[in-house]
Amino acid sequence: MRLAAVIDATVTIPGLKELAMYRSSASIPFAGRYRLIDFALSNIVNSDISSVGVFASQQSVSLMDHIGKGKSWDLDRRRNGLYFLPTSQREGDQLSVGSFAALEDHLSFFKKSTQPYVVVTSAFSISQLDYNDMLDAHLASGADITEAVRDGECMKSYILSKELLMEMIKSFRENRVVSVEDIVNLKRKPYTFSQYQYEGYFVLINSMESYFNESMALLNEVTWRQLFLPEKPIYTKVKDEPPTKYMKGSSVKRSLVANGSLLEGQVSDSILSRAVEIGRNSKLENCIIMQKCVIEDNCDLLYVVADKDVRIKAGSVLHGTKEKPVIIRKGSEVSEGEVL
Amino acid sequence: MKKQIVAMLLAGGQGTRLKELTYAVAKPAIPFGGKYRIIDFPLSNCTNSEIHTVGVLTQYQPHLLHQYIGLGTPWDLDRRNGGVTMLPPYAEADGIKWYDGTANAIHQNMKFLEAHQPEYVLILSGDHIYKMNYMLMLDFHIKHQADATISVIEVPWEEASRFGLMETDEEMQIKRFVEKPADPQTNLASMGVYIFNYQKLKEYLARDAEQEESSHDFGKDIIPAMLENNEKMVAYPYKGYWKDVGTVESLWEANMDLLELDSGLVLHDSAWRIFSSNPQLPPQVVTSTCEIQESFVNEGCIIEGKVRRSVISQDVHIKEGAEIDECVVMAGTVVGSGAKISRAIITPDLRIPANFTLQKKDGEITLLTKETIRNWEGSEDDALSSSN
Repeated sequence: MRLAAVIDATVTIPGLKELAMYRSSASIPFAGRYRLIDFALSNIVNSDISSVGVFASQQSVSLMDHIGKGKSWDLDRRRNGLYFLPTSQREGDQLSVGSFAALEDHLSFFKKSTQPYVVVTSAFSISQLDYNDMLDAHLASGADITEAVRDGECMKSYILSKELLMEMIKSFRENRVVSVEDIVNLKRKPYTFSQYQYEGYFVLINSMESYFNESMALLNEVTWRQLFLPEKPIYTKVKDEPPTKYMKGSSVKRSLVANGSLLEGQVSDSILSRAVEIGRNSKLENCIIMQKCVIEDNCDLLYVVADKDVRIKAGSVLHGTKEKPVIIRKGSEVSEGEVL
Repeated sequence: MKKQIVAMLLAGGQGTRLKELTYAVAKPAIPFGGKYRIIDFPLSNCTNSEIHTVGVLTQYQPHLLHQYIGLGTPWDLDRRNGGVTMLPPYAEADGIKWYDGTANAIHQNMKFLEAHQPEYVLILSGDHIYKMNYMLMLDFHIKHQADATISVIEVPWEEASRFGLMETDEEMQIKRFVEKPADPQTNLASMGVYIFNYQKLKEYLARDAEQEESSHDFGKDIIPAMLENNEKMVAYPYKGYWKDVGTVESLWEANMDLLELDSGLVLHDSAWRIFSSNPQLPPQVVTSTCEIQESFVNEGCIIEGKVRRSVISQDVHIKEGAEIDECVVMAGTVVGSGAKISRAIITPDLRIPANFTLQKKDGEITLLTKETIRNWEGSEDDALSSSN
C-alpha cells in the first residue's frame, strides 16, 4: 500500500455549466450508466489503492448521494477506505486540479494516511490509468512530481510524495501558486518533473463539445472496447433496475443502452441511460438521454441532450446539430419544441 | 431480540426436473429473467414486506447460494438484529443430521427460531416466481385468529390435479387438504406459503419428530395433523402472478411471461423492486446490424444479430447473422454468427459455434447444453464424412 489518492472534485468546468446547474461537475452522467467520477474512482480501486479522499465543493449533494460511503467501489472499509471531504470552496472557485485551498481544508486526511505517495487526479479526465505502474515510473525517474501524458497531452493526473504535497499545501500562498496542476504547468523551481507515458483510452471532458463528441465516440466499437476492459471494470452506484425491455415495433440500432428502460420507438446512434422510456413512433438520432427521461409518442429528436428526469411531450420535434446539440435541463418538460 | 415474524425460506431442493440446470446449483439459484435468480423473488418479497429476519435453509449444492446471498446486502438484509442467516445442516455430537423433509428442516433449526421468539413464522420456498406482500397475509391471519394460514391461488381447473388443493368453506376456513387429486373438487392451490403461530408450529414439529413413519413434510404431515385436531386453518386468497418453475417448460414459460403485456408479471415496478446481486458491467451495446423485438436484454451484452421474443442475461454476445427466437439465454454465452436457435433455454457460459442450428416451431422446449453442441458437431462431422 504505497499510494493514497485524492480526487479533486472541486474543479469546475465552465463549458459544462448546462449539465452542472444542479450538481457538481464530477457527477455529470456519462456513457449511459456512469457519472464522471466513476472513472477516476474505478482507476483507483483497479490500482489497488484503498485510501481515497474525494474533495468536494459546497454544491455536492448529488455527488455525496452518488458515492455514499463507497460501497459500490468496495471502499467501505474499516481501515482506510473512502473519505468524502466537503471543502469551503464554492462551485466556480477552482479551475485547476489539486487546488491547495481545497486540500488545506483537510490536512488531517494526509496526516492520518500511512501511504508515502499520493496520486492527485480529477473527475473529468477519463482513462484506464494504472497508478501502480505510474508510481513505479515516478520512483525510477527520481523526479519530485510525475504527470501522466498521452501523445503529449497532459492527463491531469499527478503523483508525488505525501511529504512534498503537504509542504506545498502549507506554503502555497507565499509561493503564489494555486494547485498541483499550476505548479506542473509553470514548472516551478526548485521541483523536478517527469512524465509518465500512457497508452490507451483517454479523454478530457472540458466542454459541451467534448462531452457530446466523446459520448458519441463510444458508439464506435474500437473506442468502447478500449474503455470497457473486462479485467478493469468501471464501477458505479448499484441500482436495481430490471433488464431493458424492447417492445414490439421498436427499432434500436448502434446505441449504448443501460438497464431499466422501456423502448418502443426508433433509436439510432444514441446513448440511453437507466430507466428511460421511449414512446411509440418516436424517432431519436444522435441523442444522449439521461436517467428516467420520458420521451412520449410521436416525437422527433435529432442531436438532443436530455438531462435527468426530462419529459418530452407527445409530438415534440427537437432538432439540434452536431456542433450545437439541443440541451434540455434536468427535470424540465418540453412540448412541441418549446422548453417549459 | 423478540421479533413479530420470522421467515424461513426452504432453499435446499434439488429440482431434478430442471435437469442439467441443477447439476451444479440448487434450484433456488437458477437464473431467471435475464438478471435474477429464483430466490431473489421470495427474498425481495420479504424486504418489500418489511420482514427483516430471514433464515435460508440450504442443503443441495449450497456453495453458490451461500456465496450469492452473502450478508444479504442486495436485499437490505445485512442487519445488526436479524437480517439473513444461512442455515445449512450441521453436525452434533451424534453425527451430521441431513434435513429429512421440509418440516424436519425447520425442526432442526428450532434454536434459531427460539433465539428470535417470534409470534409468527412464515414458511417460504425458493421455487416460485411471484410478487407478494406477506404482511397483507399476516393481517388476514391475525384477523381470522387462525393457527395457520395457507396462501392459495385459483388455478385453471384442467391443471388443478397437479397441485395440492385446499377445500374451504365460505369463511375461507380449510376443511380438507388433498395432494394432487385425480378428481379435483376445488381449484384453490397451495402456493407453499404458510404462516403459523409459532407456539403451535413448535408443538406440531416436536410431535411430528417423534413419529417414525412420518415423512416430516408440511404438506403430507404437519398440515393434515393440524386439520385432524381441528386447529383453526384458513386459506388466504392471493391474487396476482404466481408460477412454479419446477420444469424446463415452466421456467421457459415464466421467462416468456416477462414479454407479455398482460401476463401480470411486471418487473419495471419501482414500488416492488426485485433486488438482486448486481454485477458491474457496461451498458448493453446494440450495433447497426442488430434487430431486437419484444425482448428483455441485460447489461454487458453485445447484440449484433437478430433477437425476437427472448430473454438475454448479462454478458451475452449474439454475433452478426445469428437468430435467436423465443429463447432464454443465460449469462456469459456467445452465440456464433449464423447460428439459428428457437424455443430453447441456453445454459450459461456456452460457446455456440457459427451456423449451429436448433429450430423447433412448436412443442418441447430444448435445454441447450454443452452436450447438445457436441451432438450437433458430431452429426455435422457425419454429414461431412458421408458426403465425401
